[in-house]
Amino acid sequence: MIASLLGLFLRAFVVLSGTALLTFALLWFAPGDPAQAIAMARYDAIVTEEIVDLVRKEAGLDVGFWPAFLSWVGPLVLLDFGNSSVTGRDVWPDMLAAVYYTVPLALAGLFIGLAIALPLAVLATKQPGGLLDRCAVALASLGAAVPAYWLGLLLILLFAVQLGWLPAIGARTPAHAVLPALTLGLGVASSLTRIIRSGILEARGQPFLPAIRRRGVADRKISRDHVAPHAAIPVVTVFGLELAFLLEGAVMVEVIFGRPGLGTFLVTAIESRDFPQVQAVVILTALLFVVVNLLIDLIYRAIDPRIGERNA
Amino acid sequence: MRSVTVLAIVLVFVAVVGPYLAPYDPVAIDIPKRLSRPSAEFLLGTDALGRDILSRLLYGAQWSLGLAFLISFIGLCLGTAIGLVAALGGKWVDWAVMRTTDTFLAFPDLVAAVVIAGLMGAGTWSLIFALSVTGWMRYARVARGIGLSLETRGYVIQAKLAGLSSLSIARWHYLPSLLPSLTVVWTGMFARAILGISALGFLGFGVQPPVPEWGTMLLDARIHMRSTPLQMIWPGIAVVACVLAINLAGDALRDTLADKENR
Amino acid sequence: MLKLEGVYIKRGSFNVLDNINLSLPAGKTLAVVGESGAGKSTLVAAILGLLKLSRGNITWSDAPVSESAPALVMQEPRSAFNPALPLRRSVLEPLTARKAKVPWDRIERLCHGLELPIEILDRRPSKVSIGQAQRVGILRALIDVPPLVLFDEPLSALDAVSQKHTAKLIADLQRAEGFAALIVTHDIGYAVAHSNEIAVLKSGRLDEVTTPEAFAQQPKSDYCRTLRDAAIALGALERVE
Repeated sequence: MIASLLGLFLRAFVVLSGTALLTFALLWFAPGDPAQAIAMARYDAIVTEEIVDLVRKEAGLDVGFWPAFLSWVGPLVLLDFGNSSVTGRDVWPDMLAAVYYTVPLALAGLFIGLAIALPLAVLATKQPGGLLDRCAVALASLGAAVPAYWLGLLLILLFAVQLGWLPAIGARTPAHAVLPALTLGLGVASSLTRIIRSGILEARGQPFLPAIRRRGVADRKISRDHVAPHAAIPVVTVFGLELAFLLEGAVMVEVIFGRPGLGTFLVTAIESRDFPQVQAVVILTALLFVVVNLLIDLIYRAIDPRIGERNA
Repeated sequence: MRSVTVLAIVLVFVAVVGPYLAPYDPVAIDIPKRLSRPSAEFLLGTDALGRDILSRLLYGAQWSLGLAFLISFIGLCLGTAIGLVAALGGKWVDWAVMRTTDTFLAFPDLVAAVVIAGLMGAGTWSLIFALSVTGWMRYARVARGIGLSLETRGYVIQAKLAGLSSLSIARWHYLPSLLPSLTVVWTGMFARAILGISALGFLGFGVQPPVPEWGTMLLDARIHMRSTPLQMIWPGIAVVACVLAINLAGDALRDTLADKENR
Repeated sequence: MLKLEGVYIKRGSFNVLDNINLSLPAGKTLAVVGESGAGKSTLVAAILGLLKLSRGNITWSDAPVSESAPALVMQEPRSAFNPALPLRRSVLEPLTARKAKVPWDRIERLCHGLELPIEILDRRPSKVSIGQAQRVGILRALIDVPPLVLFDEPLSALDAVSQKHTAKLIADLQRAEGFAALIVTHDIGYAVAHSNEIAVLKSGRLDEVTTPEAFAQQPKSDYCRTLRDAAIALGALERVE
C-alpha cells in the first residue's frame, strides 16, 4: 500500500518535471529569437542589437539550455515564477488575480452542468430507449460537436444583442458572469449527461441485480445501495476529464467575453511572447492536473480496493 | 456501417469538389457589396470585405477537413508507433514511454496546442505541428493496451521463438489487431482536430487570412455580429455538422466492431 | 542433450518451479506429467527462455537453449496461428525470420508424413479443422530442423480418434527426423506409451523421474500411484500387475 502510494507520488513528480522540461524546451527552441521578441513586446518599437543583447542577459537567456533551464526550475519549487518580461512585474500576483476570475467561472460552469446533467440522465434512464432518453442522447451528441466559442457567440447574439437582457463583454458585475457560466455549463452538461447516463445503465446491468430484485428488495433501496456506488467510479473519472474541459472552455469563453481570467492572461502572454507568464500558466495548469489526478487515484482506491492491488 | 461509408463519401466529396461548386472566388474583395444579406446573388451573404460566404465555406472545407485529416493521421502514425514501442520494448521502456504519455496528457490538449502554435508563430505549419504533437496520446494508450494483451497470444509467442524481429512482429502480428480500435479512436480525433483547427483559427493562431478557414471566418464575423448576425452562424453550422457527423459515424463503427467481437 | 540444473522460478515468495533437475538426450523423448497447476506450462516457458529463471540454468549441449532454436507445439492449435494471415506465412516464419531459402521438397515430405494436403497452407486458421491445425502446428515446429521440440499438451484439444492418430504421427516423425521431444501432458496413457522417460511434477517439484515401465508397474511415491490408478480407472492405461 505504502509502496504503491509512493509510486503514485513518484509518477506525479516525473510528470511535473517532464512538463517543465517540455515547456522550457518549447520556448527555447521556438523559431525566432526570444530576446528579440521580448524586446519588441516591451519597447513596442524598432529595437537595436544592443537592446536585444541587454534583454538576453537580463532574462538569463545567454547561458545555454541546461543552465537556463535549471535557473528557471529552481525557484519554481517555491512557486516563484519570476518577473514578466514585458511589464517587469512579479508574475505570481498577476496570475493569481486572473485565477480569481477563472475559478468561480469554472465552478459555476461545473454547477450548471451538474444541475442539468444529473436530473436529465436520471430521468432519461428511467426508460432507456424512450423519448426522453433519445432526446438526452441527441442533446449530448450535439453538445459534443458545438465548439464553446461558437456557443458563446450564439448566446451573446441571442441574450445580449437581440434581447438585450444581459451584458456580454467584461466582468464588472455579477450579471456579466451569467453568459460565460452558461456557455461553459452547457458544454459540461452535454458530456456529463452522456457519462452519467452510461454509468447508470452499466451499473444497472450488474449481473447480481436481478437476483437481489427477486429476493424482494425494494427498487429504491437497490438504486441507493447497489446502483449508485457502481455509477460513482465513472463519475469520479469524469471529474478528472471535466477539469480538462473546464480549462479549455474557460480559455475560449474568457477570450470571447473579454473576462480578465487565466485564459485571457495566457492568450495575451502568448501574443506578447511574455515567456515567464506563459511558463507560469503552463506549470500551474499541469500542477492542478497532477494533483487532481492524484486525488482521483486515491479516491478510486477508497471506493474499490481492487484497483490498488492490480497496480501494485 | 452503411451510414459511415455514405458519410465518408460525402465529406471527401465536399472537400474535393467543394471549390468547384463555389460560385465566386473566395478571396475576391468587393467592397461595395460588403456585409450584404443572403440573396439570390449571394446565397449566404457576403462578409466585411464583400467576399461571398458560401464560396468561402466551400473552399474552407478543404482546409478544415483536409488539415484535420492530415493532423489526425499524423497523430495515428505517431501514437501507434509510440504505443507499440511501449508494448514491445519491455518493462523499462514501457514505463518511460507511458510516463512521457502521461506528461503530454497532463494538460488540456487544446490549451497546449494554443501555447505551442502561439509561441511558434501563427501559421499553417505551426497549427499542424501543435495539433499533431498534442493529439497522439490516445492512440498510444490504445495501441499499448491491446499490444500488451497480445503478448501472451500463441502466435506472438511462436513468432518470438521463430526469432522474428520486433519490427516484423509489430507489423504482422500487432498492427492488424490494432487497426479496428485505432480507427474508432481516429474518428474521435478527426472530429477533435476539426474543433482544434477552428478554435486556433478563432484565436488567431491558426491558418492565416485571407485563407477561408471556418474558425478564422468566425473571428472575422464576430465584429459584425450586430449588423449581420447570420454571417456568424454559417461557419459554426459547418463545424458542428462535420463534427457531429464524424462522431456519429465513429459511434456506429464502434458498435459494429463490438458486435463483431461478441459474435 | 537438454539439461536443467537446479531450476527455480519464484513468484513472490512462492516457488512455481522448485529445484528442477532433468536431462533429455538428443533424439529421445521425455514426458512430463502432473495435474493442472503443477507447473508444467511454466517449465515449458522456462526451457524456451520466455521466463527468467530465479536460479539454476538450462542448457542444450552446454550452450543456452535459445541458440539451438527449440520449437514449440501448443495446446490450442488455432490460437498458435495469426487469424489474419494464411497458414503458410506462419509456417514459414522461422525461415523468413533469418531469410533462409524455403525447402519446398522438405515441406512436401513433412506434409505427406502429417497427411496434410499442401494446399491447406493457403487457408486461414479458421478454415481448417482443429486436428489439421494441430498438424500444421507440428509442421511449423519441424520446418527448421530443430534438435529439440517441446509439445505442450499436444493432444488435449483433439478428439479421441485424432489423438491416437496424431500421437502416432509424432512418433513416426521423431523416428524419421531424430529430434529430442519433451512432451508435457496430463494424459498418463500417452506418456507411458510414447516416452523413454517420465518425470512427474507436483506443485512445482519433481516427484519422481522414472521409466514408463517402472511407472506403470511399481510407482515409488504415493502420488505416482494415485496418478497411475486414476489413469487405470479412466481406462487410459491397462492394468499390468
